[in-house]
Amino acid sequence: MSSRTDVLLWARRITGLKKSTPHQLLEIAPDAGLDAAQEAFHKIARLAHPDLHRGLDPEELELVTSAYAMIANAYQSIRSHRMATQRLPKMDPVEGAAPAPVPVTPSGTAGVATGVAGAMSSKALIYYRKAELCLKRGDLRGAMLQLKMAIGTDPGSTFLRTALHEVEAEVRKGP
Amino acid sequence: MAIALGIDLGTTNSCAAVATPTGVEFILGSRAERVHPSIVAFPGSGGVVVGADAKRYRLTEPANVIHSAKRFIGQNIRAPLVQLALTGIRYKVTEGPNQQPIVTVRDRRMTMPEISSHVLLYLKRCAERQLGSAISDAVITVPANFTDAQRTATKEAGRLAGLNVARLINEPTAAALAYGFGRNQDQLICVFDFGGGTFDVSILRINGEIFEVLASDGDFFLGGDDLDRALAEVLAAECSRVLNFDPRQSPVLMMKLMMGAEAIKVHLSENDAAEGEIDGIDLPNGQVGSLPFALSRMQFEELIGGYINRTIEVTKQVIQQAGLQPSAISDILCVGGSTRIPSVRQRLAEVFRREPNISINPDEVVAQGAAIQAGSLSGAIIAGTGMGARDAVITQAHSPLLYGGAKPQAALVRPVLLDVNPSTLAIQTAGGYAERLLDKNSPIPIERTRVFTTARDNQTRVEIDCCRGESRRYSENEPLGKLVLEELPPKPRGDLKIEVSFRVDADGILHVRAADVESGQRQEASLHVIGAPAIGDGA
Repeated sequence: MSSRTDVLLWARRITGLKKSTPHQLLEIAPDAGLDAAQEAFHKIARLAHPDLHRGLDPEELELVTSAYAMIANAYQSIRSHRMATQRLPKMDPVEGAAPAPVPVTPSGTAGVATGVAGAMSSKALIYYRKAELCLKRGDLRGAMLQLKMAIGTDPGSTFLRTALHEVEAEVRKGP
Repeated sequence: MAIALGIDLGTTNSCAAVATPTGVEFILGSRAERVHPSIVAFPGSGGVVVGADAKRYRLTEPANVIHSAKRFIGQNIRAPLVQLALTGIRYKVTEGPNQQPIVTVRDRRMTMPEISSHVLLYLKRCAERQLGSAISDAVITVPANFTDAQRTATKEAGRLAGLNVARLINEPTAAALAYGFGRNQDQLICVFDFGGGTFDVSILRINGEIFEVLASDGDFFLGGDDLDRALAEVLAAECSRVLNFDPRQSPVLMMKLMMGAEAIKVHLSENDAAEGEIDGIDLPNGQVGSLPFALSRMQFEELIGGYINRTIEVTKQVIQQAGLQPSAISDILCVGGSTRIPSVRQRLAEVFRREPNISINPDEVVAQGAAIQAGSLSGAIIAGTGMGARDAVITQAHSPLLYGGAKPQAALVRPVLLDVNPSTLAIQTAGGYAERLLDKNSPIPIERTRVFTTARDNQTRVEIDCCRGESRRYSENEPLGKLVLEELPPKPRGDLKIEVSFRVDADGILHVRAADVESGQRQEASLHVIGAPAIGDGA
């Protein structure tokens, strides 16, 4: 367990880094993945979780809590990005965009941006939806198959081809 | 050194424990019981009776016996599910200030935190008698999906009972702590917490002393009470048919059928069939009748199938939210009395393709985790005189949890709980949309700041409506309250920059700040929470 001075120095440094990226805050490489982010977050939690510093003065504890809360937000932004890319890429609704009149999945992300889905045939859309379900289960190969079926019924859709390429890239990266 | 109590304040039952140098010690009631009914009775003869002793007034004075207060604490009485829950109780609840439910017994009006404070006070007194020392601090557990108002109201109940609530922790997280503390392993577990009134499921990664919740979800109005009610309805219909009398008009009789239903449910967890009679049914013609029943386990499972399906659906969703496959989970903890139902365990085994862990005590494990966290926060578990590292580990004799060669660690470190925010928190923006500030399942404590602007020219007042929920439309989410910024400098629309900060503290309570960026003038205001009692209100 770190000393009081260590954690206060750390907290002052972190709260001064207002403009930093999540990766910089967690002190990991810009291309580091979720596992590295999780390890970094655990390391910081062992050092600086406010519960471990309840003996500090209220002001000092507030400083440590603020710094820790910034780190938590940085970790969450890496996590949520990763969660989003586990679904079909480029499917994220644009921030602030009008909500599309489509069913909202339990995790709260609009399933398909209507403008994009409108560009494929209805039969392709059914396969596409199945692909989405596969991705939610983490079944990348199943998703590939469904996307190929979708392309079979609507060979002209560049959107479906892009989606397939991205899923294939995920498969190549391995588990 | 101050002793801090760990309390599992349940819908139907509560349990309390303390971490001592030799292990976790449970707080016993007057009959040496470890589990205390969360029932507060105000008998006609006067006084307040809590726990096992209060139970016996249920049949004689149902209107004076307050049970399931947790279903109403911190709730907006106008919420549809609350209205539905109100149909199942036999005491009087009316709308009080700030849309909060108020209990009336004879001419005495009480808030829900007041009712819960009687249960907490009872546990505090039992603990003080048992330990021979005054207790001022406590860690209280709450369902993972408890809202801000429910958490605030629970803290208020603690305060009314004379307890300093050091922390509110989520029930599944507490169970995981009791399970994983001192094991020093890296593993992924699922906590399936199906209690008397609430249902939660959490996926955690235990990495040494770190307990990180990866995802959590649940249903606040789903528990053993609902299963009992489903069965009681069947019994009531049977009563109408056999005895030609509809018992739904009689609160006493419905309570009797509820108690009968609970007994049948418990019996069917151990046996394939239940057969017998519910007697002592007072009929309108002055006679006393009895209602015969015969129910097989399969019939019962069919009756409650819808509820069980719901728990399994939520479990699958949570695994998905954690970005995992069921096979990655190395242990499934069954917490809460309703996990004793065989079909629940069987369905869980089907999802995970492994048997759930039933070697833990589903009624006590949450209080045990709360006690460990209470000990950790008060410093009692690691430091202090005469507390060797070996002794500070929960010993086998006291713990139903440590088994299978888990060896005490040489140097004990304090556990670090990384819990999550149970639902997305957002504010209303122009056009009625919900703009998200904090995601569901974000680690807490957390803070995020975003910049917003005005929609009209020369706008000098901005209302920031906060909500929780997953919909992109503000109106489809649950409103939390509003923050008002006034006397802003008049500017063309889009020029004024307003910084809104959401912080969720380690208790899971939201704090909102807003400021006009340019003037640097921090116009802070606190959130007016709907449904929560004002401090010292209604006493």
